[in-house]
Amino acid sequence: MTEDLLSAKNVIVQGITGAHGAFHASAMKASGTNVVAGTSPSKIGDTIDGIPVYGSIKDIQAAHAVDISVVFVPARFAKGALIEAITAEVPLIVCITEGIPLHDMLAVTKALKEKGRSQLIGPNCPGILLPGGNKLGIIPAHLSLAGSVGVVSRSGTLTYEAMDGLTRRGIGQKYIIGIGGDRIAGTSFIDCLRLFENDPDVDKIVMIGEIGGTGELDAAKYIKQHVTKPVYAYVTGHHAPAGVQLGHAGAILGSADESAAAKTEYLAENGVHTATSITHLIHMI
Amino acid sequence: MKLLEYEAKKILAGSGIPTPASFIVSPKTKPEFLPCVVKSQVPTGGRGKAGGIAIVQSPAEFAASSNKISELPIKGFLPKTLLAEELLLIKRELYLSLLIDKTAAQIVLMAHTNGGVEVEENRADEFLQLPLSGFDADTVGEQLAEYYDLPDTSFVLQDIVENLYTCFINNDATLLEINPLVLTTDGKLIAGDCKMELDDAAAFRHTDWNFEEKSAEVNFVTLNELGTVATIANGAGLAMATVDAVADAGMVPANFLDIGGGANEASVLAAFERIMRYPNVNVIIVNIFAGITRCDEVARAIIGAKKQIPHLPPLFIRLAGTNFEQAATLLSAEAIPTLGALDECIAAAKESQS
Repeated sequence: MTEDLLSAKNVIVQGITGAHGAFHASAMKASGTNVVAGTSPSKIGDTIDGIPVYGSIKDIQAAHAVDISVVFVPARFAKGALIEAITAEVPLIVCITEGIPLHDMLAVTKALKEKGRSQLIGPNCPGILLPGGNKLGIIPAHLSLAGSVGVVSRSGTLTYEAMDGLTRRGIGQKYIIGIGGDRIAGTSFIDCLRLFENDPDVDKIVMIGEIGGTGELDAAKYIKQHVTKPVYAYVTGHHAPAGVQLGHAGAILGSADESAAAKTEYLAENGVHTATSITHLIHMI
Repeated sequence: MKLLEYEAKKILAGSGIPTPASFIVSPKTKPEFLPCVVKSQVPTGGRGKAGGIAIVQSPAEFAASSNKISELPIKGFLPKTLLAEELLLIKRELYLSLLIDKTAAQIVLMAHTNGGVEVEENRADEFLQLPLSGFDADTVGEQLAEYYDLPDTSFVLQDIVENLYTCFINNDATLLEINPLVLTTDGKLIAGDCKMELDDAAAFRHTDWNFEEKSAEVNFVTLNELGTVATIANGAGLAMATVDAVADAGMVPANFLDIGGGANEASVLAAFERIMRYPNVNVIIVNIFAGITRCDEVARAIIGAKKQIPHLPPLFIRLAGTNFEQAATLLSAEAIPTLGALDECIAAAKESQS
């Protein structure tokens, strides 16, 4: 994942005529993103806020280059939409849709690996915001401030909270990336940490994790070995009942402690500045 | 969604996995066969130790045990259904499961030679783990037969693996655990118990799903019945962070609540009503950072709640993000104040409690 991938110009919206798709395509355009077209198989020829609607990505590609697709297609059709984008070799696919069945994501992941031409962000994520540049998803752009912090988060609303807190303190951001809270996701913390480490414009990194899964633990190991810039982290859910949703066999497979406290401790052991609340995090930076 | 044993076994049997002969116990009917094992159908483990499983030999024992088990709560769960099964003559108890490895995004088969109630005693790295992407059921069946040291059952295990995988796929399962997989004294492999979890997100394509246990409620969780601060937030991350901030400030959060992206007046009103049941709550913090949610919809819900719920504790409201301006206009017309950030809400809540 590179800055060029995220800042590319030709953006489309899959599912542009749905309530969320239409509302946010318009908001993306209003914040300066070059939304060239959208898809909706049943509304071909319509326009949404001046954006032309096509039946498929292939039809758009006959007229425009497509660098990025932002997907708002409802969960039950999302697998088809994602595989359409993967097949069309769209370099960056940002999937906002939540509630995609796990088995569908297994098929999507398989297609991603086989085709090997696309980077997927999400699903179930708020997308990406480059303050002053691309808004790819639903992150409220007016709360950002251009600058040099890279923010990566598993949570949507908590991403906004961190961004808003930084902006209020006059600390600008270069990247706001929500990687999504689903169990199977296209982009990991490590993908984003690598991007931030390699971009000389980034001087500080903010990472927001959650209970469950091992992404934060993998990130901690990566940070210790590869990241020289200061990383500030908050893992949310210190007071959530741990392990409620983990099945018996799943708990055996994920034998490491997945609680907020354990992740926070592990991040701290690996040189990360850790906070116990979002307010605490913002005031540490 | 977690299925009960009898629901899971019905699906297993329909998929060609051997299960014990069985019948559902109803209060007035006689046993279909004896001896049999009467099993409490509750969504928790440890049934045997708790007295929820009984081997019965006679009609009198059957009636007595059924009555007793049907009235026995196990870890707070009272069974709605009792399952009666043939008594298996057990030679060995093995472990076999399919689950989704979320990191590798693939289905994994796990097996252990030491199954049964003590399976959790086994070390995680002792399990046989085989990824099932692009796999060949015959090869996996052979591997399993060798692993279990049951060379004669290779063909049977090939069938079991193939049927189990098909069952997993067709039912949008996220966990399918046979424990124990019983080897009977006459050499048959039978699913002694089964745990099955299905993906709630896939319910739209399974209109026939109708199980006793409905989806676990994940959006509203009581943390402390006696807590003094109730929280309402949107997004699981922000909702957890709101709880963390309350606790960090030395106050006692009562609940976690994520109103989700589709919040409307009715759902938020229902949330307020549930919060009112906590006896000690004297502060409510509303923390909404709208992306896909629209603040004006939440504002209408808050106005509705204030009008409809008497004795509502003080509200400390923070709204930000999409359609914030409309929300601010609506709330100020009703003289409902809002605060600019979560830490202001926390400070104000703390002050109100002191």
